[in-house]
Amino acid sequence: MLAPVTGTAVGLEAVPDPVFSEGLVGPGLAVEPDRTPGRAVSPIAGEIVKLLPHAFVVVGDDGRGVLVHLGVDTVQLGGEGFEPLAARGDRVAAGRPVVAWDPAAIAAGGRSPVCAVVALDAEAEAVTALAAGAVRAGDDLFRWA
Amino acid sequence: MAADAGAIIAGLGGAENIVEIEPCITRLRTEVRDAAKVDRAALKAAGAHGVMAAGNVVQVVVGPEADTIAGDIEDIIG
Repeated sequence: MLAPVTGTAVGLEAVPDPVFSEGLVGPGLAVEPDRTPGRAVSPIAGEIVKLLPHAFVVVGDDGRGVLVHLGVDTVQLGGEGFEPLAARGDRVAAGRPVVAWDPAAIAAGGRSPVCAVVALDAEAEAVTALAAGAVRAGDDLFRWA
Repeated sequence: MAADAGAIIAGLGGAENIVEIEPCITRLRTEVRDAAKVDRAALKAAGAHGVMAAGNVVQVVVGPEADTIAGDIEDIIG
């Protein structure tokens, strides 16, 4: 699973939303993004099955889905500050940009821009972190056994 | 496993208790008339991964099928 954004890799427990910090939809990792405009990329090759301005799900050929969620409570922004670069149903390569956004603008609005990357419905022990500290978009983030 | 729309309605206290229901990518954000009628155990049995409540706003975590489930619920409760 590749890091969707450039920043600092942190545990999901650092995401101030219990859905992610308590692993309610699956284990994973998060990236505290650099406060510069960027493009969130797909962690895996597959099909975009869900695409909201602030979040997307890509399902690989093995049927496993990865959720990328940009920021906390960002659904409340109604898409403002996010620009989709792909469409639902598109097949994408790993590392392909999916959403353009500006983490600094999210933070300026009083919300956390932390980016959660979740192995949907995986067992906690199936996920192994491959990054700690600084990561660039497209770097390895975690392994899903 | 997808959560069961009918069972979620029952767990939220029935159709008449639901003021509004809105899907996010991992959860249903619902507003209920009477939070005391919400049955967390029933919601979990219906397939919810978790339930978070603050006042009359109840968030039911159902995973990325939230939009489909919200549509099913709206079809049932009109």
